[in-house]
Amino acid sequence: MNAPAFPSGNTTAPSGTMAAPSGTNRQLTLAIGIQWLTAIATLVLVLAPLGPILWQSLLDRPLYQPNAVLSFDNFARLLSDAGFLRAVATSFELAFAATAIACATGVGLALFLERTDLPARGAFRLFALAPMYMSQLVNAFAWYLIYGPAGYLTLFGEMLVGVPPWDMYGIGGMAIVAGTSMTPLVYLFCSSSARMADATLEDAARSVGAGPLRVLWSVSLPLMRPSIIYAALLVFIGTLETLAVPLVFGRPVGLESFTTFLFSRGLGAITPDYGLVGAAAVLLLVLVAVLLAVQSVLLKGAGRFVTVRGKAQRPRRIALGALRRPVATVFWVYFVLTLMLPLLAIIARSFTTFLTPLLSPLKVLTTDNYALVLGHPAYLRSITNSVIVASVGALVATLGIAVIALVAKRSAFRFAKGLEYLAMFPRAMPGIVAGIGFFWAMLLLPFAHWLQGTIWILMIAFAMRGIPTAYGAIAAALVQVGTELDQSARSVGAGWWKTCTAIVLPLIRPALFSAFTLLFLGFLKEYASAVFLYAPGSEIIGTTMLSLWSNGDTGAVAALSVIQIAITGVFVSLAHFVTRTNRDV
Amino acid sequence: MSDVLIQRLTKRHGEVTVLHGIDLDVPRGEFLTLLGPSGCGKSTTLFALAGLDKPSGGHIAVGGRTFYDGEDGTFVAPEERNLGLVFQSYALWPHMTVAKNLAFPLTLRKVPKAEQRSRIAEALELVDLGDYADRFPHELSGGQQQRVALARTLVFRPSLLLLDEPLSNLDAKLRIKSRALLKSLQRQLGLTTLYVTHDQEEALAMSDRIAVMEKGRIVQIDRPEAIYNRPATRFVADFVGAGNFLPVRASRGRQGEIVEARLDHGEVLRAVRSAATGSDTQGFMTVRPQYLRLAPAGSAVAAGNNRLDGMIEERTFLGVRNGYAIRVGDHLVTAESEDRFETGPVTLAFRPEDTLLLDH
Repeated sequence: MNAPAFPSGNTTAPSGTMAAPSGTNRQLTLAIGIQWLTAIATLVLVLAPLGPILWQSLLDRPLYQPNAVLSFDNFARLLSDAGFLRAVATSFELAFAATAIACATGVGLALFLERTDLPARGAFRLFALAPMYMSQLVNAFAWYLIYGPAGYLTLFGEMLVGVPPWDMYGIGGMAIVAGTSMTPLVYLFCSSSARMADATLEDAARSVGAGPLRVLWSVSLPLMRPSIIYAALLVFIGTLETLAVPLVFGRPVGLESFTTFLFSRGLGAITPDYGLVGAAAVLLLVLVAVLLAVQSVLLKGAGRFVTVRGKAQRPRRIALGALRRPVATVFWVYFVLTLMLPLLAIIARSFTTFLTPLLSPLKVLTTDNYALVLGHPAYLRSITNSVIVASVGALVATLGIAVIALVAKRSAFRFAKGLEYLAMFPRAMPGIVAGIGFFWAMLLLPFAHWLQGTIWILMIAFAMRGIPTAYGAIAAALVQVGTELDQSARSVGAGWWKTCTAIVLPLIRPALFSAFTLLFLGFLKEYASAVFLYAPGSEIIGTTMLSLWSNGDTGAVAALSVIQIAITGVFVSLAHFVTRTNRDV
Repeated sequence: MSDVLIQRLTKRHGEVTVLHGIDLDVPRGEFLTLLGPSGCGKSTTLFALAGLDKPSGGHIAVGGRTFYDGEDGTFVAPEERNLGLVFQSYALWPHMTVAKNLAFPLTLRKVPKAEQRSRIAEALELVDLGDYADRFPHELSGGQQQRVALARTLVFRPSLLLLDEPLSNLDAKLRIKSRALLKSLQRQLGLTTLYVTHDQEEALAMSDRIAVMEKGRIVQIDRPEAIYNRPATRFVADFVGAGNFLPVRASRGRQGEIVEARLDHGEVLRAVRSAATGSDTQGFMTVRPQYLRLAPAGSAVAAGNNRLDGMIEERTFLGVRNGYAIRVGDHLVTAESEDRFETGPVTLAFRPEDTLLLDH
């Protein structure tokens, strides 16, 4: 570089230095503005349903009426309500039983699929995760069609032995349906820990004389304990929150659960008891929050499950030997009974006028169910609404949650830690409680009532519920991106927001895509928070199925279920195709 | 009497052959080390012996009992072999206390509780960890974990002790201490031991015999002194720390015989043949840096000794000694000496007995 000649004695700045990029102050203002805006928006989103519920639980009359008096009366009334106490007891029994079932099957699947040389592992893995893609509502209907009181197999059994061979109504039946539908959750958490497990620990057990099953029981299984505890509490909470299963298999015999109690008192009654519903919602909220706290306490001190690792291990699997075929057979039977037969039943029902072992389904073939669903504007609208809510909602939510994660994980924002807690809070809010909360928020907030009965309020509610899931996926990826990449961008003159958009976000594209996928599938399945929020014009598949089901219109319900499964299938294959063809995404 | 007998052991992963017919015969009570760089097949051999890796062919027998035979398909499951294997990562079960870790193999053998207690105490005493029975593995230091791993294999009195780089995760000081403990325990118990390592010092210090492996083959098997002083190939020589490989043409000779070797620029030296070969072959001459004596340029050399003239290019201070890089013809030779020489011409003298002739 040629230094310009200056008269001697003149001091100059070193040649070649450029001024800092202009507008540094503007960048700083922009960063702080975005960070505060994000924090406030998240706070509003989370508090919108929470505030009205807490408020209502302390009021002696509906929250939209004037002159309400504050008191704990609602809680006193609730705790002396025999129906409520019975519902809570039922919910707990159901949650314990379903958790036991889900853990037994999920852990068994994880152990045998990830640690042994079981045949057909690829297919089993697919089946093990399949129920996750299905709405709980669809799953419950499907089980009802095959194992319910007039179910295909139930009637078939009755023809053989004279009496119905089983009764799915009641705690046992509900626990089987809920437990098997939540098995994927347990499998997912335990399989990743099983895959990461140090195979030399199993080799060591074999070398001191333990056979394959003994190794699984004494070494592989205990090592998964942290994952099992984590997953068990998720299933427990999930079962407490589920509305579909007790609605289909409990309510017909007068068995109420926590959620159906909220559902019937808040929606079913002609004059809903606002105070009572508010108090019950608060209790459910507190209960779930306590369980989540227990979960994090139990997972502390998981250090003794980590050991020194040696050289990179070849993934070795325990050879089952003569047990291979018997164990595989058990798994086949399990998947046929819990996955394939219910699926087959709902598909068969959607194409027939009547499904019974007395008649060949080929004699009652029809497309009427689909004609009804696709021909009725309200039903058809529920399908298009579902797709719009899932795609647009998930897209906007993913971007918003990505910004939340950036502020919480990658900024100097003063309340970054607090924002993270806030983002995780919706885990404590069951769908039905969120639905009630948003519904009341619209009654309470003067400027919010234009959202009433639109699909926008559904998107907002679903997005709020989806924050923890998407945040988890995105934050995990953010941690993987070295901070020196941000720092070098900052050092060459990029502001915080520019660094985020130009460096960080492109690097976590795969995580953004998987967050979008998770949200899309979650929004498509969601129904519990929608039952309080939808109105004619903003129906979604879930709410339409529920109303068709209560009218006894099983054929149409089956058709809608199959359509929902088909949409899911197309979306999942598309997502799979995108991830496979584009390594970048 | 032979305790471990391995014959023509092969292992293939698809196209890749990891073991090319290993033959090994270990008498009772011997400490045999499999030495070699990573990927040479030493661990694979050990794991095949333990039954954790299924070979592709060959024969394995321990104490007269066939564990594996490629011909008739015999394969004894690892848990039925009663061999004590110590892993590089120790593989202590993190969810069990030290005592539970030791009790597990005993429970599997249906040893009564009272006897379990005394045997566990005895085994922990043996490795000097009597007070640590109720600790969890993560509460122990690396050296303690390593000793627990050893106690866990000794507690059920295995017929064979197999060790897979058990000291490689320890720091240098601890490694030397553990080496002594391991060796004295092995002598005390008289256990036939197979030890896998890539550390030549470890192998030389502990073994009765060393089998050096290269690319799935045993290239030399002998006593440590012989491996060190009379490596059979350049690979072995290199691996046990020899240096100064100079290409030579050598005359015919029997193994162990002192023969003449001509350097590529004409000088004739005398060296010990490492293996018998035909006439006038191309090979390498090697002499360890500490065997080279430095003298002022042009000094006389004792009769019968080899002599090379060179130029000191660089001196490195190594503490007790100085290291020298010396140019001899086109080659750089390293030497060590307590005396200090400045850069410039120098004369090197060394005995033919310290000079080794290798074929390849």
